[in-house]
Amino acid sequence: MTLLAEIVLIVFAGIAVATCVALLPAPLPLRRRIPVAPGSPRPHQLVALERLVTTAGPSAVSVHAYLRPLLTQIVSHRLAARGQTLERMPEAVGREVLGDRLWDIVRPGRPFPEDRHAPGVQPQELGAMLEAIRRL
Amino acid sequence: MKGSLSPRTPGVLALAGAGLIAALATGRPELALIAAPFLVFGGAGLVLAREPQVTAAVEPQRLRLLEGEGLTCAVRVRNDGPEPVEVEVAPVRTRNLAVAPAGTVSVRVGARSETEIEFSLRPRRWGAHGIGPVAVRARDVLGVTTWEGRRGGRLDLRAFPREDRLRELVAPLRTQPFLGTHVARARADGIEFADIRPFQVGDQVRQVNWRATARRGSLQVNQRHPEHSSDVVLLIDTFEEARDQASGTLDSAVRTAASLARAHLGRRDRVGVVDFGGTLHWLEPAFGTTQLYRIVDALLSSDIAFSYAWRNVDSLPQRVLPPGALILAITPLLDERSIALVSQLRMRGCDLSVVEVSPLDHVSPGPTAADGVAYQLWELQREALRARLRSLGIAVAVWEPGGALGPGLEEVNAFRRSAQPALRA
Repeated sequence: MTLLAEIVLIVFAGIAVATCVALLPAPLPLRRRIPVAPGSPRPHQLVALERLVTTAGPSAVSVHAYLRPLLTQIVSHRLAARGQTLERMPEAVGREVLGDRLWDIVRPGRPFPEDRHAPGVQPQELGAMLEAIRRL
Repeated sequence: MKGSLSPRTPGVLALAGAGLIAALATGRPELALIAAPFLVFGGAGLVLAREPQVTAAVEPQRLRLLEGEGLTCAVRVRNDGPEPVEVEVAPVRTRNLAVAPAGTVSVRVGARSETEIEFSLRPRRWGAHGIGPVAVRARDVLGVTTWEGRRGGRLDLRAFPREDRLRELVAPLRTQPFLGTHVARARADGIEFADIRPFQVGDQVRQVNWRATARRGSLQVNQRHPEHSSDVVLLIDTFEEARDQASGTLDSAVRTAASLARAHLGRRDRVGVVDFGGTLHWLEPAFGTTQLYRIVDALLSSDIAFSYAWRNVDSLPQRVLPPGALILAITPLLDERSIALVSQLRMRGCDLSVVEVSPLDHVSPGPTAADGVAYQLWELQREALRARLRSLGIAVAVWEPGGALGPGLEEVNAFRRSAQPALRA
């Protein structure tokens, strides 16, 4: 091997070493642990209602046992502002004011559903009822 | 401080070893010559490494400030060793404290000298924010060895909640026999005219109403209402909150409580605080500026504590709710226990009003159509709940975070004026 070839080899070796040195890992930044931000749990009231709306769809029992008391409470409050009560409201007036479907649910003395597996109130239908309540 | 090799050092030593092995394998001394400086560098670094004597201390301008307010905090780094050292300082990093500069700050500290690094701090939320100890990393001159550790003590930066200026407050139904600013129902010396009655022995001449005396033909005196103070108890509901990424109902509740406490104390009322939640804390009513600082300090430690324990009015010590006190419940009305508490307090004849910190702004409807319907149902359910509380004689002010509290309090006063005979019964 000639002297020139040796010099070239050493130069290349030097360059390779310098490249390796440059590629060596730099010190990691100092780290301080940041406390984890708390999650944003949804209020229990809302979670319970979301569950209720979901279960009220396929179950008439759920509508009668859970949705009806809530709707009755809301409707009673709205009617009270108009000087009316559910208990003293004639059926014809109730159907006119609340709509047939909502009246069927909140009317006083509604019996427990005979068919436990009958379908309940679908969310779209419930949404329409809520709109009717808002209009009171 | 804990010492360790710099991340580069193993690489340097590996290069040196590789060069020497290659020189032995190929029989070429030139490769050993290339590897030798790395070997010398690494070896010298390891031999000469001494643990630096670095200390650091956090020195904030002050320890009390308002939320959102900026503050300069100096970190004083001192090197007591005989060699200069490269020091990296990491600022405090907490969720609710904005720090600038946010990254690591490197500084060279000479032998037996000190230097100062300034950070800007800004609390995003009220509360106690820990600043310190400071994370420090020092390197020797050759950078072969590093030492990491924490220096300085912990300081608590207390960020007080921002307060609204309230022009109008809820007027109490009953007052206490101390000088204050509320016109009492009792008749005694005061400014507000109350009534006219016949002169009695002991009445002062300056109380005589000469016009009425001339009309009625006998001495008549004026009666007046005295100005008294009242007892105010701020009841903060910490059972549950609605929270988004930026803020929550508890944040607003604490700000409201601080505003109300300042305003009532400014009117010479005795003010106390009850933190009613998973954990129960209270501060008995007292007068003055010192009480304001006590209240704000107590509010800073307010937090949501999850608990299944049922609590009611019997859980509260009697001395926390003095007879005739005006109770202002600041609540998002999310937990049955707090709703039951306000109902029970009213049924026991307490003078009670509710400031409802609306959770609706912090919670959005879920993704499905059914969730949207549930959200509408929730709004109507809350409306019915408010109506039920009003039917019990409890004035309810709905306060939307970001809005002014004054109109809500005016609404409360209007309700109380219309329901006053029933409330006093």
